[in-house]
Amino acid sequence: MIIGDISELSDEKLIEIIRGTDRELYAEIIKRYQAKLMRYAGYITGDDNMGADAVQESFIKAYVNLNSFDVKKKFSSWIYRIVHNEAINLVNKHKKQVPISDEDGYNSGIDLEDDFIKSELISHAHGCLEKMPIIYREPLSLLYLEERSYEEISDILRIPVGTVGTRINRAKGIMKKICQRH
Amino acid sequence: MPKTLKKPVNFEKIIMEKVKSNEISMKPRWYFVAGSVCSVVGLASLIIGVSFLVNLSLFLLRKHGPMGQWRLQQLLVSFPWWVPMLAVGGMVLGVWMLRKYDFSYKKNFWLIVVGLIFSVILAGVVIDGLGLNDVWSRQGPMRRFYQQVEIQDGNAPLESGQGKGGAGFLGRNQ
Repeated sequence: MIIGDISELSDEKLIEIIRGTDRELYAEIIKRYQAKLMRYAGYITGDDNMGADAVQESFIKAYVNLNSFDVKKKFSSWIYRIVHNEAINLVNKHKKQVPISDEDGYNSGIDLEDDFIKSELISHAHGCLEKMPIIYREPLSLLYLEERSYEEISDILRIPVGTVGTRINRAKGIMKKICQRH
Repeated sequence: MPKTLKKPVNFEKIIMEKVKSNEISMKPRWYFVAGSVCSVVGLASLIIGVSFLVNLSLFLLRKHGPMGQWRLQQLLVSFPWWVPMLAVGGMVLGVWMLRKYDFSYKKNFWLIVVGLIFSVILAGVVIDGLGLNDVWSRQGPMRRFYQQVEIQDGNAPLESGQGKGGAGFLGRNQ
């Protein structure tokens, strides 16, 4: 297959080819996702080395279980879900999470806009995210940094779409408190 | 700030080497199909089993008659508690298995759980109400099982198949 053709193929079509005839095309999947997944795993674990371990293990697990993937669904949600599981397992193993209650910090009375959240996240992403509980850190980073839809976040985290919305709203409040404090 | 990588990881090289050398290989499709089939069959069997145990628990409770105080004590001492305990354990296992299905997080999971528990109890009540326990305790492959439960329940078993008027082996106390 010509290189140009490969890059035009959808993830799901590519998976069908990898499963059927050309397993070496899995390299293309790795190329497409390694940076995104490294960033996401880094946000969850708060440690790029641990994130790299999670991503490597996830690519291996994804390959081994490739035949269980339903090509009618989005591959990105599936691979993010695997990374999520791997990263959470590593975090639990290392017990690195620093929980913070919703009541912490102070209220400036300023309403947060999405653009503000996004710019804060991008400029101070690691610093702010690292201090958030994982259940809020994940949907926030998926929405603003990975630019996933609510539906995709629901598929990745395996929580109802309504819960995604609730967690994101609460995460915004926590984010405001954390970022303003620093 | 998070700990940063000392040097970038070349995932493509590391993983593709493992793929090419067959150090890692894809599990075949039949493996996942078999897993799904086993999971569905297991869940269905579990629901049937738990419904049966709920039915058996109701049947044994009913057999003890109205609950006067001493009857309650008798019940507490002699009742084969493993039956309802197994039913509850099966129910918990069923809920755990349900969580593994894709739909479980897209719907209101607690509604599904309540629906499952209600259905299982309803099935148990219906089976008991239809008098199937009497039939099963008199004939068929379940007869021996009913005899053992009866012995555990502290009542001397009568000969199987007896029972004027069709009350049957376990029906005499009803």
